[in-house]
Amino acid sequence: MTESHRRILVVEDDAEAAGQLAEELTTSGYQVDLATTGNEALRLGSASDYAVITIDRMLPDLDGITVMRQLREAGAVAPFLIISALGEVDERVRGLRAGGDDYLVKPFSFVELLARIEALGRRSDIVAKETILRVGDLAIDLIDRTASRRGAEIDLLPREFQLLEYLVRNEGRVISRAMLLQHVWDLHFDPSTNIIDVYVGRVRRKVDGQQAYPLIHTVRGIGYCLRAPR
Amino acid sequence: MLLAKTLQSSTFKLALIAIGAFGATVSAIFIYVYLSTSSYVRGRSDRAIMTEAASLRDAWGQSGRARLVDLIRQRAADPAFAGHVYVLADPSLTVLAGNLAQWPEAALAPSGWAEFLAAKVSNDATDRPLVRATLETLPDGDRLLVGRDISDLDSFAAQIRTAVIAVVALTFVMAAVASILVTRRTVGRIEAINATSAAIMASGLDKRIPLRGSNDEWDRVAQNLNLMLDRIETLMGEVKQVSDNVAHDLRTPLTRMRGRLEKAIHRPRDGAADQALIGDTIADLDSVLRIFLSITRIAQIETQVRTAGFRSVNLGEIASEVVELYDAAAEEDGTRLTMLGEGEVLVTGDRDLIFDAVANVVDNALKHGRPAGKIVVASENVDGTPVISVADDGPGIPADQHEQVFKRFYRLEQSRYTPGNGLGLSLVAAVARLHGARIEMLDNSPGLVFKLRFSAPAGR
Repeated sequence: MTESHRRILVVEDDAEAAGQLAEELTTSGYQVDLATTGNEALRLGSASDYAVITIDRMLPDLDGITVMRQLREAGAVAPFLIISALGEVDERVRGLRAGGDDYLVKPFSFVELLARIEALGRRSDIVAKETILRVGDLAIDLIDRTASRRGAEIDLLPREFQLLEYLVRNEGRVISRAMLLQHVWDLHFDPSTNIIDVYVGRVRRKVDGQQAYPLIHTVRGIGYCLRAPR
Repeated sequence: MLLAKTLQSSTFKLALIAIGAFGATVSAIFIYVYLSTSSYVRGRSDRAIMTEAASLRDAWGQSGRARLVDLIRQRAADPAFAGHVYVLADPSLTVLAGNLAQWPEAALAPSGWAEFLAAKVSNDATDRPLVRATLETLPDGDRLLVGRDISDLDSFAAQIRTAVIAVVALTFVMAAVASILVTRRTVGRIEAINATSAAIMASGLDKRIPLRGSNDEWDRVAQNLNLMLDRIETLMGEVKQVSDNVAHDLRTPLTRMRGRLEKAIHRPRDGAADQALIGDTIADLDSVLRIFLSITRIAQIETQVRTAGFRSVNLGEIASEVVELYDAAAEEDGTRLTMLGEGEVLVTGDRDLIFDAVANVVDNALKHGRPAGKIVVASENVDGTPVISVADDGPGIPADQHEQVFKRFYRLEQSRYTPGNGLGLSLVAAVARLHGARIEMLDNSPGLVFKLRFSAPAGR
């Protein structure tokens, strides 16, 4: 990652929320610029190159969507993460259609925020062109849609393969349940039950059962992470 | 009180304006009738007098004064000419012939018309009749007066005048009475509505506007207002119930969190224990936040009127995706979760919301159904209407609680201790309402069939 790819612009008008965000992101190794108004966001956003821009929908002067659109027109390439208290699907779709790359509803956990920023930041990196992805002794074939560990094929349903592929592509990153639901099932709501856990549990049994070491790890209170032992 | 309100009411003021306009029109019509009738009658009488006067003048012209005197005497005595007045006088106004003893004082002009009260016309005439006469001065200076008793005409005109005045007055009185009665009725009904509204504002929503059973527009207004009040009362009740339940459901985890933190603050710091405590507290907070999110989400769906985000959604696809998503959970439970029905069942709607609703119903079937039971998710077109249904073989829901389960936080007695917050079916109901879909709960003996019956998509 280049220097600019660790730089994040946080647009948030609430001072305490902005402070918490900045602190959390700094701790995670990001360099954070803060804008408290839409106009400040426009000035900062067009002045330098950011890895990710997080933007509040409700700003004192301009609407977050307007800021986003104007920055895009000005040539900003950074992915936008919309953070908003407006959670309804309509609003979400409106935000994404206006050029947002991801959407997070207040209140959210910082782990979830970090997970999403990681995922977005990676998107602006090089897209993998391999047809076979490997993590430890796991190999998944993106053409045949098959997975194997130490050469032994794992019997997966199509959706289970999709889930595994998403985890593999985000190797080492924390993936929240909502992100799984969003990217694997294309559903945009928070499941009120433990259904995702149960589903991942089954994939995990298939992938990690009777193996030398586990690949899929539970991250308490947020979701999952796929990684090989160091 | 009521009369004062009646007189103040806008209906009454409108009625007064209407009465005024109508009364003026009626008066104008009657006055015209009166004037034209009386002038017609008078005109006829005047023409008859002039004809008579002309014949006398002719007699004078042919045969002179003596012949005229004869003729006048003859006419005055003739009963056929009763009511006629003839006087011939010399230039000094000394009467030569006629049926008046003296030349009337009101007729001193040499020519023209005169009206006067005659002393006495003839034997059979009334006392001092009103006479209208034409006056002429003959070429030799003699004065001739020919007239008629017009008392009859005058009294006829007076009668018409009286009738006209009476009719106009009666019209006004009746209109005024009618408008007071009508206004009073209107004001009475409005007052009833006003009084009820005031009572509701003062005390509570239990009052209703009294109906008269007349089924008129006022009763319909009252009926609709009462229905509106019923709805508001139900909603208020729900709000109260929800806030009670929110208070209860939130108090439990909040109290737990508070107690845990309070204990921890007095304890010496211990890395591992603190770590676990913070983790548990965050998990509890998350469940509180989830309840909040569910409530606001339901509220948002319920108040959403825009359906602009609606697309064509395949219920068959949703059914298979839900089954697939819950497959692992069912497997864990030993339940057989299967899918039935046609591959393509199209509705217009919001995929996320419909998915969420169906997932909630399947989730309920798994949680409350028989362990190692059977759940079937089916999508089909029934007579052109798309239906998605979830059937289980669990204990079902007692028929008398079918309505209750859609209330927020409502939980059946038997499932009070299974996990869940009692918001799932409220969400299903909200989604169904947004899509104009009907919810049906049928007995699967044993178990429950839960159906979402959509309206046929447009353009099919």
